Amino acid sequence: MAAPIRILTAVPICDGHDSAINTINLEFIRHGIEVVYLGYHRYAEDIVRAAIQEDVRAIGISSYNGGHVEFFAEVVRLLKKQGADDIQVFGGGGGTITHEDQKVMERRGVDKIFFAGTPLSEMVEFVHDRYGKAKRGKKAPTAEMKLARKLTEIEDAYAKGKKKRPTPNAKRLTSNRKQGSGKNNRKRVIGFTGPGGAGKTTLIDELVLRLLHREPKTRIAILSHDPSVVGEGALLGDRATMINSQDERVFMRSMATRGQAGGLSPATEDCLRLLAESPFDYVIIETVGTGQEAMPFRSKLIDETVLVMNPDYGARLQLQKIVMLDLADIVVVNKSDQDRARTAALEIKRRLEQNKRPQKLISTVAKRHRDRGVDKLCDLLTEKK
Amino acid sequence: MSKLGRVVEAVENYNRFVLDEVRRARTETKFGQQLLERWNRIKANTPIGRAPTGLPLPRLALPEIDEPGEIARYLLGDGLPGEFPYLNGAYREMYLEPLREEGSYGNEQEKNGHGKNGHSKNGKKGVAKLAETEEPTRLFSGMGLAEDTNERFHYLGAHQRSKRLSTAFDGLTLYGIDSDAPGVFGKIGEGGVAVDTVEDMERLYAGFDMGAPSFSASMTISGPAPIIMAMYIAAAKRRFGPSVVPKLRGTIQADIFKEVQAQNETIFPVEASLRFLADMMEYTTREMPRWYPVSISGYHIGEAGATPVQQAAYTLSNGFAYAEMMAARGIHVDQFGPRLSFFLDCGLDVEYIALARVSRRIWAIGMRDAFGAGTKAQMFKLHTQTSGRSLVAAEFKNNLTRTAAELMLAYMNGSNSCHSNSADEPFTTPSEEWIRLSAHGQAILLDESGIFKHTMNMLSGSPGMKAVERAVEAAILEEFRQIEELGGVVAAIEHRYQRSQIQNAAHRYEEQIYDGTRSIIGLNKYRNANEKPPKVELVRTPRAKKQIQVDRLKQFKKRNAAKAAKALDRLAAVAETDENCFPALLEAAEVCSLGQISGRLQEVVGRFRPMV
Repeated sequence: MAAPIRILTAVPICDGHDSAINTINLEFIRHGIEVVYLGYHRYAEDIVRAAIQEDVRAIGISSYNGGHVEFFAEVVRLLKKQGADDIQVFGGGGGTITHEDQKVMERRGVDKIFFAGTPLSEMVEFVHDRYGKAKRGKKAPTAEMKLARKLTEIEDAYAKGKKKRPTPNAKRLTSNRKQGSGKNNRKRVIGFTGPGGAGKTTLIDELVLRLLHREPKTRIAILSHDPSVVGEGALLGDRATMINSQDERVFMRSMATRGQAGGLSPATEDCLRLLAESPFDYVIIETVGTGQEAMPFRSKLIDETVLVMNPDYGARLQLQKIVMLDLADIVVVNKSDQDRARTAALEIKRRLEQNKRPQKLISTVAKRHRDRGVDKLCDLLTEKK
Repeated sequence: MSKLGRVVEAVENYNRFVLDEVRRARTETKFGQQLLERWNRIKANTPIGRAPTGLPLPRLALPEIDEPGEIARYLLGDGLPGEFPYLNGAYREMYLEPLREEGSYGNEQEKNGHGKNGHSKNGKKGVAKLAETEEPTRLFSGMGLAEDTNERFHYLGAHQRSKRLSTAFDGLTLYGIDSDAPGVFGKIGEGGVAVDTVEDMERLYAGFDMGAPSFSASMTISGPAPIIMAMYIAAAKRRFGPSVVPKLRGTIQADIFKEVQAQNETIFPVEASLRFLADMMEYTTREMPRWYPVSISGYHIGEAGATPVQQAAYTLSNGFAYAEMMAARGIHVDQFGPRLSFFLDCGLDVEYIALARVSRRIWAIGMRDAFGAGTKAQMFKLHTQTSGRSLVAAEFKNNLTRTAAELMLAYMNGSNSCHSNSADEPFTTPSEEWIRLSAHGQAILLDESGIFKHTMNMLSGSPGMKAVERAVEAAILEEFRQIEELGGVVAAIEHRYQRSQIQNAAHRYEEQIYDGTRSIIGLNKYRNANEKPPKVELVRTPRAKKQIQVDRLKQFKKRNAAKAAKALDRLAAVAETDENCFPALLEAAEVCSLGQISGRLQEVVGRFRPMV
């Protein structure tokens, strides 16, 4: 089976019109396309960085607020400048992009503009026909691009069935990263998991904000997962909410689970190993929202496992069933401004005491700016060992 | 239970109360008699006017009923125009032309029709009447630099008695970003006017008497609304002195909830946005009694793809949530309630026959019975805009007809003011040719035609309209229950409830266009295969103008650098506390740019994290 096409979609800076792109995204993923959605109000620079890191075949831009001629051209220009002009740019803006504009835009290197009234099926067909095969130009000119392409190769090898994920009981390779990938042994690989809606993505983004701020040279890699629609595409939307992680010093990759249960992709382990061996100070991996019985991380590559919970997990009995509570190094009760949070923290504390090992418990409100709890989590994760 | 749950209860109780009263009117002779007497009195006191053709018509039309139960159902369930629960209108006379000379119809003057000379003959009295009745036409505009929009304002207002300016800002302003920021040059002055500083604000309304009763400004901006409000006040003070502040009339949209649910122009986290909003509302409620500090907007919810019922339900529930927020600050509902206003979309779906009517009724009952509001705070004051989303690029001149039909629906719903879209809007910010046609559409409907100017209730209360009212009200209450179940408006927002409902509706709408369930003439029906791309005049801002904006902003910043630094420090210090920061914002607005202020506040409260 061929690997799904990956594209990136976004709405330009100072434009919040996301109704069209939401509808188009939905149609794309229903037809086998994996869409990395960057969201609305995005700078050309952020779009290009994301497209390169995600190694997508094309960028789709939906613009309704004017200034499209300049904006599309800027995206094309930046791609060229980075040597990433194998990534195509297409888009539309209803009636706001005129036929004259289209001519100018295509002259400046835009691949295709869709006009008002184009059926969704036509766009889907276009993406399949035009971007069905990778057009690899020259060798990847930058290290970042090399890494991005390598990750695609790993992912696609699994999708094409050339590689199979080892069964969970199989012996794992141990990583050689601790023998010194850099100047110190501070490198951390941190795994975040927890139920959907607990606020993992926000928490990670707040953590990234602090790491970037505290350590002016730190480089961070993020491997985030979103579920595939059964047997089809996927909407990879974490970047849209991770506003602080769209940064020069952050390498982020969004992966679809591609049919695997447990919150990770068949290719995760290999991709994670590659990132762990690359020059990053922190590698953060986030699972899809998981159920009670899930224990997504068994990889030896992970130094610290963080379980993020919502105070609203139901009755105390439920806690007994959450397997990750036994395995996590740090348990975070997020949204601790909710009524039930104090009780929840107490219940979890007692539950952790049964494990008789040094697990940490932290309460956070990740959505709150400069939250003390997130500060504490950051302290814990950056502590020298 | 949040207040929204109580609103649901209040409406249910009120509907039961009406039924009980209907029964009582039929069984208690005395009560029935009283109602009959009142009914006859209303009819007897209704003045009779005449159409230009000489046809006599009552100024208020009433259903032909003479049975006490039915009279009770009408008076209590619907209410006369201007009476609780305001189904038929917030005011008694709405768009009626003034009575010329009471009791003197049919004389010589009348036969000449309502010509231009009509006013002068009535002397002072007539003039006074006309001054009170302002036109409900509002045309939203904004383009290029402040001076360009100012010119458009003067063009549009040239023939209007009252100057009611409605301002559209460019994307940069809506997101609180300065024109000299990197990577945004192409966006300056596109889709609206570029405003960076108090000086731009002065240019924008130059030549208008900002303190005059015949002047009002409406500003469509929400994310940085408190900052823009402060700049508006600062500009008015520079031109007319501090005494102008209590005289300022107008509206600022400032609706954070709908931004988070649909329009996506939010710059601070929700809680901080609400705090800045409440700070501003506290100030305007106290110092600017004629100002509407929030326009609770369903328009953008509708435009993002919501069904009409979703639009009304989310807008009303947002309104109740603002009321709850202000009440929690210890401000009495009768103080802020009358300063809340609403803004709805009007498209071509059948619900729009009665959407605003039902909304007005629910708001009145909810405010009275769940919030204890007095008469003025019960009134749902509505601005309507015809649907931009309903306009299509294919055979775009059909958009004139679409807008005309929508306008008709909007006025049938008793909207207090209206904006009609221009036919060229699928392509561009409207050009003068098309904006003129859209303005004239309103004049033709209200002034040239006799539909709305002779008789109130001309088109209210048909059996079909009643059927729509019932169905729409039930559906809105059901939406309220859903939101209540999630813990109220703010909690539902965090669950992405409204957003996901709107997105699903938008997707369904598109599917319906492509599968033909929904006819769009010229697009999926009667399509002209030979249609060529239309030649439309595009309104775009030239590079040279954009550069002017950047240059003068840089000069402003240089000139005010020292003062700005101090003002920003003070603002940040207040923002760190629980104090009202609007006074500090007012000071900052004199010397700082929009981007400087929003950037500094973001350092204190954080940036908005978008929801997908």
